[in-house]
Amino acid sequence: MARGFRLSSELVAGVLVGCVIGWALDRWLGISPWGLIVFLLLGFAAGVLNVMRAAGVVSKPDGRI
Amino acid sequence: MKFFPLVFSLFMFILVSNMIGIIPYTFTVSSHLIVTAALALLVFFTVLVYGFYKNGLKFFKLFVPSGIPIYILPLIVFIEVLSFLSRPISHSVRLFANMLAGHITLKVFASFVSMLGAFGAVGWAGAILPLGLTVALTALELLVAFLQAYVFTILTCIYLNDAIHPGH
Repeated sequence: MARGFRLSSELVAGVLVGCVIGWALDRWLGISPWGLIVFLLLGFAAGVLNVMRAAGVVSKPDGRI
Repeated sequence: MKFFPLVFSLFMFILVSNMIGIIPYTFTVSSHLIVTAALALLVFFTVLVYGFYKNGLKFFKLFVPSGIPIYILPLIVFIEVLSFLSRPISHSVRLFANMLAGHITLKVFASFVSMLGAFGAVGWAGAILPLGLTVALTALELLVAFLQAYVFTILTCIYLNDAIHPGH
């Protein structure tokens, strides 16, 4: 259960951060909805990267991606 | 060894606040998001401040992995920055969610015992199952309380390692 919680929280955190940054950019720059779209996708990528790192698929930072 | 006092006091604080929650009529400090978020932000800002203090601008190498073709580098840097920013969230939510979920499960099963006890003798017989489950879950909670303190500490060490040696 601890491992499952760890992996899921990594993914959710990545998407959440992307969502918040995109939303904030939309608010400040008035480019709704493009900031949200772009940063949500980037956040999803970051979340997947986090999960892969946490699972040890790309554990070594030199060989990452 | 420079960060041993920080890491050790984080571990002991989280372990004690997790363990205290198992005793009835006490309050689990770490089942509230604000407490774990404060701890995770402490680690995050320690990494940020110490990383810049120790490495200067070389700290940004953390976001630029080596051996990446130049045409996808901007994309990768964006993803790496987002991945770095998402660390305190996942770091805090993990501890908070584990503690909250465990204690809610425990309380739900314990309330089954008292609810079934209200039905008289048949209910008392039926209450044996949730009572046994409560005992078993208490043991599981002991394990989770220790494990989550350990996981939090290990991740703190991993993040601090990034601050000391970025760009590896």
